[in-house]
Amino acid sequence: MDPLILSFALVNGLLIGGVYGGVALGLSLIFGVMRVVNFAHGSLLMLALYAAFWLQALAGIDPYASVVVTVPLLFAVGFLIQSVVIAPLIRRESALVVEPLSALLLTAGVYLVIDNLALMAFGPDVRSASSGLALAPLMLGPIPVNMQRLIAFLAAILAAVSLSLWLRSTRMGRAIRATAQNRDAAALSGIDVPLVYAVTFGIGAALLGLFGSLLATFIPITPQVGLSFGIRSFIVVVLGGIGSIPGSIVGGLVIGVFEALASQFVPATSAAILSLGLFVLILLVRPSGLMGRA
Amino acid sequence: MTTTLSRRAVLVRGALALSATAFATGGFATGALAQAEIPVGWVLPLSGGSAAIGQQARTGVQIAVDQINAAGGIKAMGGAKLKLVFADSQSKPDIGSSETERLIQRENVAVIGGAFNSAVTFPATELAERYKTPWIVMGAVKDEITERNFKYVFRINNKATYDAREQLDAIDMLKTETGQGPKTLAIFYEGSDWGRSHAANVRKLAKERGYTLVLDEAAPPNQVDFSAQLLKIRAARPDALIAAFYTPDHLLLSRQLFEQQLNLPFGLHSVGGGTEDPSFYKAVSPKAVAYYFVQEDRQVDALQGEPLPEFVDVEKRFRDTLGYGMSAYGAQGFSVMYVIRDALERARSADRQALRDAIAATDLTSGPAMYVGYQRIKFDEQGQNTFAHGAISQNLNGQRRTVWPAASRAPDTKPAWPVPAFGARS
Amino acid sequence: MTAHPNRLHESAARLPAGRPRRAAAGGVSPAGLLALALIGLAALALPLVADSYLLHSCIVVLFFAYMATAWNFVCGYVGQLSIGHAMFAGVGGYATVLLFTGLGLSPWLGLPVGGLLAAALSVVVGYPTFRLRGPYFALTTIAFAEMIRIWVENTESVLGIPVNGAAGLTVPLAGESLAALQFNGKAPYYYLIVALLAGALAATWALERSKLGFYLKAIRGDRDAAESLGISPARYQLVALAISAFMTGIGGGFYAQFFRYVNAERLIGVDLSIDMALMSIIGGQGTVFGPLLGAVLLAPLAEITRGTLGGSFLGLHLVVYGIILMLAVLYLPKGLIAPLRAVLARLARRGGAR
Repeated sequence: MDPLILSFALVNGLLIGGVYGGVALGLSLIFGVMRVVNFAHGSLLMLALYAAFWLQALAGIDPYASVVVTVPLLFAVGFLIQSVVIAPLIRRESALVVEPLSALLLTAGVYLVIDNLALMAFGPDVRSASSGLALAPLMLGPIPVNMQRLIAFLAAILAAVSLSLWLRSTRMGRAIRATAQNRDAAALSGIDVPLVYAVTFGIGAALLGLFGSLLATFIPITPQVGLSFGIRSFIVVVLGGIGSIPGSIVGGLVIGVFEALASQFVPATSAAILSLGLFVLILLVRPSGLMGRA
Repeated sequence: MTTTLSRRAVLVRGALALSATAFATGGFATGALAQAEIPVGWVLPLSGGSAAIGQQARTGVQIAVDQINAAGGIKAMGGAKLKLVFADSQSKPDIGSSETERLIQRENVAVIGGAFNSAVTFPATELAERYKTPWIVMGAVKDEITERNFKYVFRINNKATYDAREQLDAIDMLKTETGQGPKTLAIFYEGSDWGRSHAANVRKLAKERGYTLVLDEAAPPNQVDFSAQLLKIRAARPDALIAAFYTPDHLLLSRQLFEQQLNLPFGLHSVGGGTEDPSFYKAVSPKAVAYYFVQEDRQVDALQGEPLPEFVDVEKRFRDTLGYGMSAYGAQGFSVMYVIRDALERARSADRQALRDAIAATDLTSGPAMYVGYQRIKFDEQGQNTFAHGAISQNLNGQRRTVWPAASRAPDTKPAWPVPAFGARS
Repeated sequence: MTAHPNRLHESAARLPAGRPRRAAAGGVSPAGLLALALIGLAALALPLVADSYLLHSCIVVLFFAYMATAWNFVCGYVGQLSIGHAMFAGVGGYATVLLFTGLGLSPWLGLPVGGLLAAALSVVVGYPTFRLRGPYFALTTIAFAEMIRIWVENTESVLGIPVNGAAGLTVPLAGESLAALQFNGKAPYYYLIVALLAGALAATWALERSKLGFYLKAIRGDRDAAESLGISPARYQLVALAISAFMTGIGGGFYAQFFRYVNAERLIGVDLSIDMALMSIIGGQGTVFGPLLGAVLLAPLAEITRGTLGGSFLGLHLVVYGIILMLAVLYLPKGLIAPLRAVLARLARRGGAR
């Protein structure tokens, strides 16, 4: 195998891996704080992609500029899903036996509703948005590096760093971390747990709002697009360690590079089997993930 | 105790009866006014991954039926009107079969059209054969569908092997015309039924005709990045690339090929799928698909300069309904309805046996049924329309112009062969 | 997660002591038996009055009821969510077809052989995964099933066995043949699926009364406590999973014979796994009749929305599914069978109060 080709596979793998990691951030945060596996994660990304698309199609807003709309919009959607759909379950759970599967099933219901409402509302056609910023590809020797992917990659790193800092240094951030460690103790010390949960879910979704706008510039948009990202996000989060913010990025990079390099030797179909196999293996051998605490 | 028992039994029976009526409602709602109407069933993927194609076919079918009914229905049957019954297969074989059962048993359809997905069409047409109900296949290309000695199953469009043969025929023809052409080919396709069976056909034919396959690569549907595969194509340096992808993946592939300026000296040859979907062209930059060769079931530029009134109407209504221009599947649905009208006029009856015989005797060379782009529609003893063929267009100056067959090529169409490198394009 | 100091103790106390208590849930009184017999009779008489389409629809509903019951056999009682059961259906379906086309083995033998192969696969998959809990287990089952699906779709033949990739396998027509399990009419298929369903329900009923069922419930109630009482969760869960996979595999074989076509996208696809799980959960997992109720309510729902709306509203029935699922999880965590049972119990009490 040509070393030049392999090194570009590596670069591409890192770029797309960073994007996977950024998309998975919200999933990891929500699980870390609330122990809720959000099955509707991909669906929220799909909503964000459509929001970016429609903002451009109807109002002429560039996808990169639409961030100012999609981020608050998705925050609101996440906040609502938590306070309307999931909160009743958590209220009930405090009295009954904890059933973590209920939350998974509940968000599976959200996934079914959102994806199929989108199909009804937007139709099955494929859509695309493109930025007016004519960004010439960055040339690395003979092979071009796509700028839209590079921007999304950098945004993922930036989002992970700022999220970590925010969780560490602000009042709300500290409340979220306290709640993640011990819900009952946090409630006793005067933290408004339902609000913390709603804000957490909102932030998890808002991150998808950001990536919806960034990804809209290079991903085909269909009502089913969420599923491919959703499943991959699970793999990324498990790999990096559920609930770990840096783990999410590391997991994304590992899976991105793994798939890119494996694809140079086997067809993409086999690479897909291998990455699912890697997922199972990590769960069985080291369930806490690469960056998680054992 | 006894009260309990009877109440329970009543409850249970009530529940049974309820679910029984639930099944029946579909039939009762329509059964009463079927006197002067001829019910025609369609099984299409109206939801799920192939829903866009199902909607296109459905729109074409609906327009044809509106035209036929507005023009006085089936004249040989006292102006009887056609009535459409659509069924959604969701692209799933078992649901397609259940819906076929419903159309035949409950809706009493005279004939069925559909069902695009080969995996749905194959078992569903077996049911139609058993119930002696004629079925005109539209869209599905699996060869075996018309190789089972069935009497009631007909197919208007190409078999899968025809598609691969036409692509290589076009390459060979351009090679003969210009004296230059590709020596090495790469095939890149989606890893489900359609892509894989097309690849198998190309593999076989390419070997027979002396091409070297330098890359043979499948990808699972709904990818989010093709960078790794493009690197492989770059490393393999094929002279031409044969691609089989549905719309979302084809959009991604076209965009990334363009962004990476990956040159293919003798072009990209797409076997339809995404590239015959009008919504694809709405979503993609024209520059990204310049010089594409597209094999599709219908000649895209066949109607330029030939404004037959019935075709102006269908194209306008199609655009009004879906927001984009006519597609191959819309055209096939439209034509199948005119084949059915022709058969009904000759059969003078909606009786399934009589209609089957009339469809088997179909021999059309003119009229709206030709909208699909064939010169003749006539079924062989296996029910295959042997006059079915596709056309291959090249995207020149933002327009898809037919280059193959040579007879269909407009005088002012000059194929770009070899294809200009990205750097040399204006 | 935070361990409440008294939780272990509580759970241990909740474990029924000694012999399995007679579960009120599955308890069948003489009246219930008679009602069951009546339902059975009505079911057996249906082909005499129903037309082919109604019969076909009933077969489909009963097929889903059977699959959901098979799913419930392990997942409902262990409290683990498998979203990969379609892999067992796939093994059963493919084995039945391949044994018939390759070796000429009658599907009557192919069905149980396919079931055994599915059970063998379930042991291989279940042995490592049952250690995982909650969402981890669910995600792993999806991953296993998807790996098998993608592999089958991209494999033309393996060791000389023609798997036929994404194109799927067809069962060659053999005409009306009892030996080949092919019939022109629908009634034989109907009786077969009724028999299979009755068998699965009986197996579940027996499970509730068996030591195995007792241990599974203990594991579900509190795994650590059960373990401390000397119950090996892995072993009992694995036995239940193997039985469940065996039944699911036979279901896959039935699908192959009835539709005479199998393909990986459908029979090993995640949609089928989700259907099995949802019907069981919405109907009432961990009960004998819950999955049957779920299938009888949900399968026709899909059929009706398809039939009456003719696809005018794409995906509407899935929106309805999703809403029902959310409502059920929030307000009827024990499934739709719980309120139904409460009503029946009240009626029984009133009727029984002489």
